[in-house]
Amino acid sequence: MTDEPQRVDAARTTLLNEDWAAVVAGLILIAAVLLGVIPSGLVP
Amino acid sequence: MTTRDSDERNAAVETESAPRADGATKVEAAPARRSSAPAWAAAGVAVVIVLGGLTRFLEQNVPDWAEGGPFERVAGAIEFPVYAIAIGLLGNLVLTRTGVRDKLSGGFRTEFFIKTGLVLLGASINLTVLATAAGPAILQGLLLITAVFSFSWWFGGKLGLDEKLRALLSAAVSICGVSAAIAAAGAVQAKREQLAYAASLVIVFALPSIFLLPWLAGVFGLSDVVAGAWIGGNIDTTAAVAASGAILGDDALQIATIVKTTQNALIGFVAVGLTAYFALKVERRPGSARPSIGDFWERFPKFVLGFIAASIIGTLWVKFVDDGKADISTINDLRTWFLIFAFVSIGLEFSAKGLRDAGWRPVVVFGSATVVNIVVALGLATVLFGNFELPQ
Repeated sequence: MTDEPQRVDAARTTLLNEDWAAVVAGLILIAAVLLGVIPSGLVP
Repeated sequence: MTTRDSDERNAAVETESAPRADGATKVEAAPARRSSAPAWAAAGVAVVIVLGGLTRFLEQNVPDWAEGGPFERVAGAIEFPVYAIAIGLLGNLVLTRTGVRDKLSGGFRTEFFIKTGLVLLGASINLTVLATAAGPAILQGLLLITAVFSFSWWFGGKLGLDEKLRALLSAAVSICGVSAAIAAAGAVQAKREQLAYAASLVIVFALPSIFLLPWLAGVFGLSDVVAGAWIGGNIDTTAAVAASGAILGDDALQIATIVKTTQNALIGFVAVGLTAYFALKVERRPGSARPSIGDFWERFPKFVLGFIAASIIGTLWVKFVDDGKADISTINDLRTWFLIFAFVSIGLEFSAKGLRDAGWRPVVVFGSATVVNIVVALGLATVLFGNFELPQ
């Protein structure tokens, strides 16, 4: 019976974690391009 | 990582990526799948990347192949979201037939891909545009959410829908699709089947909207800015907004994204309001605490912060660095890749399975609310963004 609320809560937790993961991944990629770690020729 | 953490993550993967109604079977199968779930999820990500590569290849080469032939104009007009979603749906069909789609679904991270893509998109949006568009976007979001949520809640009540399902459908159709449904499900403690159902409805309605709205924008002769605001206020799920905006071009994509991101940011207020309403009115739990600032922060979509930070970084970079625009162009290419991954994932995740048992009434409520959304959003976008000009 307690399984369902836990699963919905877990979905919400995953969503929030993905939010932060997206922020970190996006900003790291931006920094990598601006600092020249990812040159323009590398992205098809 | 604790066993409990692992269990919760597995549950979350099942619930969010491909919510299903057959809870009992899933619980029984869980121990066997737990050890191999990360490997299957990694394989799922690999599938998304391969299909994304195929999308990019087709997008770049089909116009050349069709040159001089009868399909030259059509091939030239098809944008990458069309290839990505079509390839995702085809992949879905193949993987379902071979019986591995559900196992791989942990890697179809639409939300992660789209939000990373939107943070990258932020770098190409001038801070001035963001600041000037924020006012009308917030006003449009507030009016639209109020109108569509109220209609859906009222109509769902008229048709006798369960209160929790009403809350989920109303949040999903008026704010931002699956994310809003998940936030609302947590707020009202909805059943997993109800969340699965709301998520399925969002995708079923979003898929045709991706292509229908850009076409209608052309029929109505809307400017790119108004069309973007219309699309951003109208299509429920953020990934579908980006797909639809991208079909119309970069200007429409920018405005659609700003409008949708604003709506995403408003989800915290609705989720907290629903929590308070269900605690105090529907379930009448005595001594329920008043919502705090922490409750709002917990439900605030954090990728919005990344989007704004990227816009600040991009604006300053172009202003102060020689040839800074070339770097932003590379970031735009990366953004396209992440959007492609998100659109491929939409196609791979699509499932009408959750819709079978719920009957016709929720579909009628959701469909009617979508029509109200289309009409009200068109009026608001025309009034609020009719005179808006993007800097050249």
